Amino acid sequence: MDFANLAAQLNTGVILPEGIVLVTLMVVLVGDLITGRASSSRWSPYVGIAGLLAAIVALYFQWTTTTNPISFLGAFNGDALSIVFRGIVALSCAITLLITARYVEQSGTALPEFIVILLTATLGGMFLSGANELVMIFVSLETLSISSYLLTGYMKRDPRSNEASLKYLLIGAASSAIFLYGVSLVYGLSGGETRLSAITTSIVANNGEQSLGVVVALVFVIAGIAFKIAAVPFHQWTPDVYEGSPTPVVAFLSVGSKAAGFALAVRLLVSAFPMVSEQWRFVLTALAILSMVLGNVVALAQTSMKRMLAYSSIAQAGFVMIGLIIGTDAGYASMVFYLLVYLFMNLGGFACVILFTLRTGTDEITEYSGLYQKDPLLTLCLSICLLSLGGIPPLAGFFAKIYLFWAGWQSGAYTLVLLGLVTSVISIYYYIRVVKMMVVKEPEEMSDAVKNYPEIDWKLPGMRPLQVGLVVCLVATSLAGILSNPLFTLANNSVLRTPLLTPATIAPPASGTALLDQPSIHSSNSTLGG
Amino acid sequence: MNLADGVQLVSFAVLAAMMLGAALGVVLLANIVYSAFLLGLVFVSMSGMYILLNAGFVAAAQVLIYVGAVNVLILFGIMLVNKREDFAPVKNVWLGRAATGAVCLGLFALLGTMILATPWVISIAPPAGDDAMVVIGKHFFSDFLLPFELASVLLLMAMIGAIVLARRDLLPDELADQDGREPPVALKLPERPRELISGKK
Amino acid sequence: MQLEYFLLVAAALFCIGIYGLVTSRNAIRVLMSIELLLNSVNLNLMAFSNYLDPQGIRGQVFAVFVISIAAAEAAVGLAIVLAIYRNRDTVDMEQFNLLKW
Repeated sequence: MDFANLAAQLNTGVILPEGIVLVTLMVVLVGDLITGRASSSRWSPYVGIAGLLAAIVALYFQWTTTTNPISFLGAFNGDALSIVFRGIVALSCAITLLITARYVEQSGTALPEFIVILLTATLGGMFLSGANELVMIFVSLETLSISSYLLTGYMKRDPRSNEASLKYLLIGAASSAIFLYGVSLVYGLSGGETRLSAITTSIVANNGEQSLGVVVALVFVIAGIAFKIAAVPFHQWTPDVYEGSPTPVVAFLSVGSKAAGFALAVRLLVSAFPMVSEQWRFVLTALAILSMVLGNVVALAQTSMKRMLAYSSIAQAGFVMIGLIIGTDAGYASMVFYLLVYLFMNLGGFACVILFTLRTGTDEITEYSGLYQKDPLLTLCLSICLLSLGGIPPLAGFFAKIYLFWAGWQSGAYTLVLLGLVTSVISIYYYIRVVKMMVVKEPEEMSDAVKNYPEIDWKLPGMRPLQVGLVVCLVATSLAGILSNPLFTLANNSVLRTPLLTPATIAPPASGTALLDQPSIHSSNSTLGG
Repeated sequence: MNLADGVQLVSFAVLAAMMLGAALGVVLLANIVYSAFLLGLVFVSMSGMYILLNAGFVAAAQVLIYVGAVNVLILFGIMLVNKREDFAPVKNVWLGRAATGAVCLGLFALLGTMILATPWVISIAPPAGDDAMVVIGKHFFSDFLLPFELASVLLLMAMIGAIVLARRDLLPDELADQDGREPPVALKLPERPRELISGKK
Repeated sequence: MQLEYFLLVAAALFCIGIYGLVTSRNAIRVLMSIELLLNSVNLNLMAFSNYLDPQGIRGQVFAVFVISIAAAEAAVGLAIVLAIYRNRDTVDMEQFNLLKW
């Protein structure tokens, strides 16, 4: 194989967005060395955001003009589904960068290295969303994980940050070792195949439909994935890491890292384990039920805002898993749509938490009381985002949840949907509690932190981007509900145009009615959205 | 059974016994320094296993990277954290250990059953043997090119991150002397620490 | 010589690693247990590569990736252990309880 021949086969254009992120990363790294700390912490966030936006633009062009998504001889698959997930990861990193600058500045640590590690995590997440081969999955998963451990421990003088990062590293490394053991079994069972597309056929050819080996491998692999998406009972790290790590990192982990985990779950489970699909659906159903119940109930008891959002994100992972379990077109599309909406509402919530922390130095829920009197914008934004997370009607989160539950109901997953509805009602209680705390309290009930609230000053360095991020999330969360048609179309197209997921319609999920209703799904989407 | 098979079997048995014994030592011995050296023994016997499996290149890589880098790194870590501390005893520690041991034995039984029950499809093609290095190189630059490149990014970032985390910072007042600015605040999370649960007892 | 022998040894090593992971109180020993887990995975991969895929030897390539990434992980892990040791003056896992419920 000579060089020109090889270069033609690699089809490198598919990873152009990742290439842009990589170049941005190098520019920030080298530029920091050349220009020195003082100036580089001023320009590096903007360079990072520009690079990520350029990557998103590149993704958009691939969306319109994909011809051959397989690149690097099968290592990477840039199909429509991966484009959407890569977009989610990149966008979550861009918004995180907007809200990062001031926080890192105020904690006295170096900003450019933080951005470099965050961009590496994004790169890992983007590659993970399209990885189509076991080695590639492992390497990109580790890129994402190791950079997350580093980000978690970035405030190294704070014992809480150290401790969170140590726990995250130990649990994460153990879970990736277990995942890897499952992957090695898959390699063996398939008789030496590492490409996902080839694995299934050779496993079936070698072992027949089902065997103990496949089930053991499946359980080990699910353990690794469930850690990444923080599903109960693999969630123990989540509250500690969310509380101990710098808040912008939490924002990225709760959206970007989780979305990458879901992309991995879809690709790996659907393409490599179709012969045991009943088993993995069963395991995931158990995980989803546990996540929804435990996440929502424990969140009620939390006193720290970050911890409450941690449990809420566990519960949200449970909701999203419904879409994966039912495995119809509508299910996958609703999952993508939910993640898109979740991106804005969760990042908006974290932007507010960061802003409040920067001004008062606390994140206790009780300290938010009476905030409306001092800072209406922050109150409005936090209320909108929390209500949207809870699923209150005109907001985006409501439509996302309705679509998810509707898709679940169509394919006969009644227990999951009913449980989802009940736990959503519970979740509304703890979201509303915060909103009530901020809005309803009389001036004399104001907490000390709010009484000493500093004057609102957007002129400080790094505050403008934070404000922009806040407003973007606010606008997206409130408008995506009413004007959700583009997002619906995007989510539906991403599923319909992905060859991997098209057999999903042929294999009957739980009942046959879902198949008959397929055409009406899209029309009713538009009525919902319009 | 001819002579070559016999030699292979004996060396496999010796290596396996050495490896499992050393691994048990790693997790069971009280002194962490012994554990670290026994970990080196595990790595060396593992590389012997690789030679039995016709993989000379990976065996060499195993010795170079695991024994030469990882094990030395762990020893350095132990020396930098060189406080002889006796951990405060925790009640009923044997109960937890017994339960964990039972779970691990159960896991081993499950994995063993699975390994013996699965009909592995043994290939009859001749092993690549000494050509393995060439084949691995070709893989690195054809179908495993993307993970290979991504691994380089990962290593770069791990290096930067490890330096950032492990480096001792300049003290804030030194920094202030250097560029005449206000001393930056401590490198901490802006949030106030919560009341510790242990403090309330 | 059979494939099963190697797989059984790897499974035993994996279980020892899990035991060490759960019971160890020294953070550095937990890192060592993780190295044991990764080594058992490598032995699996190499055994499969030799017996099932002797011409393609993708398992060997996979093992090289695992080795290099395990080294990176160990370096990051020790950096984090050093940082926490500086702040807390201990590496006892039972003492790391600032963050609980």
